[in-house]
Amino acid sequence: MALLEVKNLEKDFKEVKAVDDISFKVQKGEIFGLLGPNGAGKSTTISIISTLLKPTKGDIKYKGESIVKNSKLIQPKLGVVPQEIALYPELSGYENLKFWGHAYNIRGKKLKKRIEDVSEIIGVKERLKDKISKYSGGMKRRINIGAALLHEPELLIMDEPTVGIDPQSRNHILETVNKLNEKGTTVIYTSHYMEEVEAICTRINIMDKGKIIASGTKDELIEIVNGNKKINLKFDKVSKSLIKDLESIEYISKLDVSENEIIISSNNSENIFKDITEVVTKSDSSLTSIDINKPNLEAVFLHLTGRALRD
Amino acid sequence: MLSIIKLRLMRLRNDYFVFVFMTILALGLSFVMGSSQSGNYKPTVPIVNSDSSEYSNLFIEELKNSKNYNFTLTDYDNAYKKVDEGKVLMALIINKGFQRDINNNKMPKVSIIKTKDDIEILTTENLIKTNLAKLKNNVNIAKVTTDYISGIKDVDKKNIFNKAYDLSLENWEYKRPMSVTRKTITDGKWSEFDNFKHIIIGFTLFFSMYTIVFGIGEILNERKYNTWQRQIVSPLSKGAILGGNMVITFMIGIIQVGVLIMASKYLFNVDWGSSFLGIMTVSISFVFTVTSLGLFLSGIVKTHSQLAAISPVILTSTSMIGGAMWPLEIVNSKILLFLANLTPQKWAIEAMEEIAMYNGSFNSVIYPSLIIIFMGIIYFILGIKLIRFE
Repeated sequence: MALLEVKNLEKDFKEVKAVDDISFKVQKGEIFGLLGPNGAGKSTTISIISTLLKPTKGDIKYKGESIVKNSKLIQPKLGVVPQEIALYPELSGYENLKFWGHAYNIRGKKLKKRIEDVSEIIGVKERLKDKISKYSGGMKRRINIGAALLHEPELLIMDEPTVGIDPQSRNHILETVNKLNEKGTTVIYTSHYMEEVEAICTRINIMDKGKIIASGTKDELIEIVNGNKKINLKFDKVSKSLIKDLESIEYISKLDVSENEIIISSNNSENIFKDITEVVTKSDSSLTSIDINKPNLEAVFLHLTGRALRD
Repeated sequence: MLSIIKLRLMRLRNDYFVFVFMTILALGLSFVMGSSQSGNYKPTVPIVNSDSSEYSNLFIEELKNSKNYNFTLTDYDNAYKKVDEGKVLMALIINKGFQRDINNNKMPKVSIIKTKDDIEILTTENLIKTNLAKLKNNVNIAKVTTDYISGIKDVDKKNIFNKAYDLSLENWEYKRPMSVTRKTITDGKWSEFDNFKHIIIGFTLFFSMYTIVFGIGEILNERKYNTWQRQIVSPLSKGAILGGNMVITFMIGIIQVGVLIMASKYLFNVDWGSSFLGIMTVSISFVFTVTSLGLFLSGIVKTHSQLAAISPVILTSTSMIGGAMWPLEIVNSKILLFLANLTPQKWAIEAMEEIAMYNGSFNSVIYPSLIIIFMGIIYFILGIKLIRFE
């Protein structure tokens, strides 16, 4: 049984359909990614799962029981890292963690120990007594995450947790997510940063305009656009015979020729290199460089929607 | 709920300035306003009678009957100097031709020397206008009456005119269909209305309303900090979130009202009567209702800035209508008196004055306290319905 099962979920805001009939399952122990541009419906989906919003239609089951009907089933087991910093700026990092620990019914020595452990995980131990208002953006993000970890959640939902922070803090957060997952925490991770989702997620849903447009592991998703592999060849000169010979190769779908450069689009990755090597060897042009653009999730999104992920 | 209370206490520790500031402001302003309006204070208004006619003298005579002002005759230079030096509010000049205008059935013209416009001057101007209209009408009635009687028989016209004028003047007075005399016996002494005490009570309640409404309005700041959403997805129940905020705001309100009552007692020697339980009952009812009002207002608006914009308008206007700034005894408008009944301030002031001024017993505050609590329950239900948990 899946840890979380989303069934035919819909959410309307007046005339806008923010989430449009989506279904997916999150298995225990995985890092599940929701990728999509701003406005794709990721945060709305996350808000419904975290019981902040009620869906217009559909259901969400946590361990087989509906959390739409009874939100209390999931709330104590859930850690939510919202997109915005959700902390009290006039309180210190310690006081913030203390309050959120209380909110999850952790008290006394256990709370003290958890604050110590969490502050070590998120790397803010030295600055815990400072007020949040004095923290940098990255530090605030770390406390924001820490507040969701105090009760050792079974399911951690992270909504764009790295927005607007420096690369060092970003890497630290990604490492933290991996470490938590290694210890058994299931993670739902939303982002519009393709690289982050590619780096940490075991399975990914790509969302656009409220719908799931593709779903699978990273490799499964990339397979969708494998035919669009691009090979960039540079020569000392490009002769007509070379172009003619390359055009005759069966698997080449498109050939873009500029002064000393030929960009080959291919729909077959298996045999194309052998054929290209044969043609180039026979020609009177000398190959000076070769560059192969492997498809990524950006290319998948572009292929499926005709738009770039960050449009 | 305890988590929310602890949180609010932690936050209050860093933000106690507003509480202290409002308490000091309430005390300071209560003292200043109370002192200025208590006792036999009467603003002096110099009158320059340039017409020196029979009617201008009648007009001055009528003005001098006013209990709230001290109208004195003087010359123009002296009147101008006193206004210029700020020794008097304003000066009234009765222009030449005053009597002629009345005889020609025109509204006579008077001039005012003043350096500013304020509520006290506007009130005085209203009094002058009312008296002018009365004079003109009375003279007309007296003239018509004199002409009519003198046309029938030979009479002393002057005498008839004066009698008709006086009778006309008398008829301006409101004839009450019945009169009620209320007496409260306190160890053989009569208690009287004390304006200073009234101001202290009114301002105590008025300023505490700000602290309370903005106290419960902190839930709007929670939305701004996104902590509201985080609390909703935590195991904290909605009841615990709202209850915690209500309880801490209520406690802060009670402490502030208590501090203001104690400070006025020991700093300004205000006697709060013999029923401490009665004063506490009214205070608790009032603070509960204002907390609920704050919850209701926080449900209507979306942000703390919007609350900060509408609260002064609502709190000040209802406090004015409810008699926190001045006694309702001076208000004649039936509409305003009806509206006063809809404000918790009116009932709280009335109940507290019953004890502090007329030495009433605990029984005298039960009815007004129940009305205040009833209002609070309505605001509370509306507030809960309006507060958004999504």
